[in-house]
Amino acid sequence: MEKKRSLGLVGSCLLVSTLALVLTSPTWALDVPPLAGRIVDRARVLSVNEADSLSAALKAHEDTTGNQVAVLILPSLEGESLEEYAHRVATSWKLGQRGIDNGVLLLIAVKERRLRIEVGYGLEGTLTDLRSAHIIRNEIVPRFRAGDMAGGVRAGTEAILKTIEGTYEAKDQPAVPRNRALASDALQLVFVGVVAGFLAGIVLSQGLRRTRALFGSLLAYLVAQSASMVLGVVAAGITAVLLWLVLWTGRGNRSRRTYDDWTWYSSRGGGWSGSSTDGGFSGGGGDFGGGGASGNW
Amino acid sequence: MGTMRRIAGGMVLVTCLGGCGYNDLQGLDEDTKAAWSEVVNQYQRRADLIPNLVATVKGYAAHEKETLEAVVQARAQATGIQVTPELLNNPEAFERFQKAQTGLTSALGRLIAIAENYPNLKADQNFRDLQNQLEGTENRIAVARKRYIDRVAEYNKMVRYFPTNLTAKYLLHLEERPNFAVADEKGVATPPEVKF
Repeated sequence: MEKKRSLGLVGSCLLVSTLALVLTSPTWALDVPPLAGRIVDRARVLSVNEADSLSAALKAHEDTTGNQVAVLILPSLEGESLEEYAHRVATSWKLGQRGIDNGVLLLIAVKERRLRIEVGYGLEGTLTDLRSAHIIRNEIVPRFRAGDMAGGVRAGTEAILKTIEGTYEAKDQPAVPRNRALASDALQLVFVGVVAGFLAGIVLSQGLRRTRALFGSLLAYLVAQSASMVLGVVAAGITAVLLWLVLWTGRGNRSRRTYDDWTWYSSRGGGWSGSSTDGGFSGGGGDFGGGGASGNW
Repeated sequence: MGTMRRIAGGMVLVTCLGGCGYNDLQGLDEDTKAAWSEVVNQYQRRADLIPNLVATVKGYAAHEKETLEAVVQARAQATGIQVTPELLNNPEAFERFQKAQTGLTSALGRLIAIAENYPNLKADQNFRDLQNQLEGTENRIAVARKRYIDRVAEYNKMVRYFPTNLTAKYLLHLEERPNFAVADEKGVATPPEVKF
């Protein structure tokens, strides 16, 4: 009897917790498609030739100016907000160069008959909201309404490129806070690495078990922290080796070390963070502030 | 060996300081302020568009006095609030600012709605351009707000979690920062939409 009751209790607990998880989990959001190229046509609106020639034009533009323009054609938004989704895709794909933010995304949702031009921070001055709106209104929508999807995409893309071409110059940008942050991060990591290495050296050469354990766990923590960054680990390694050499030669006869203890000190692996690069085209780290314009046909 | 331990102890202390969020808190403090300035910037940008908008609508719908007046007043109220960095540390002032901006959003919404009744106004090029600019600004406001909300959440977490809350309270004298009220989000998430 007791067993049945406890089973029932466990069962209902599981049910409740599963329900809670499902009901409170974030609403289903449309995924950001992988950046397979400059033209991502999931609605098969463009023929292969059209897509290729457009892609070539966009690549040529990027080679001369550094601006990254991409086109995404979706069969449907599936209930997502156009602006929010466009912003999400643009920031995930990181179109444009880091710090300069010179990216543009042309998003077309076929079923909803809506489109948006999402403009990065850096190009907002030349490809203004108004100009984006005009491009949509004058170049793209009329052609879409006439059924010429490919023509609309081509005309729109060309208009975007022309708008940003003559006026936008890839000048030398002044130091952006982001770069400074990178430098100080690197410095911090090196510092952590050095400290970790120092502790590693102590661990290797000290005799007291307790001290070793304390420093060993601290070392594990530090190494785990830097485990995802090469800099920290390398610094740790170098310092550890140097210190070990110094101390080893300094002390002469030492008792043997058992390496069982090292199993304690294995570090947790950290994940590598890298941007996905498919088909040779990848975002340069640009950011978007919500500039641009939307339209429908 | 004694010196070694003392040096090691010193290094542990220094590492702990790093771990106790001193730098992180400073960084998040700056990030939050930057995110907030962006929000204020975009709100200001919206306010700048309004005089032109009101003038254009007046050209076609002059007798919609109430709605036009409402927008002008709402704008005056919103821009009347002095935005200083202190605003972030004063939850009441922050709320007043929020309310004023929400008031402006709804007044604008009503103005756009009445434009539906005036086909000539809807067809006016200038009006359409202003609409596009307004939409663009509302979108940027939404993005800026979202970024601020994320930053402030990170910052507040650090200020409240142990052990960084000790660093925040005793070393840096940093407090929790106000966030946008949830009720607001619905009003802002659906900016005045224009369909032609």
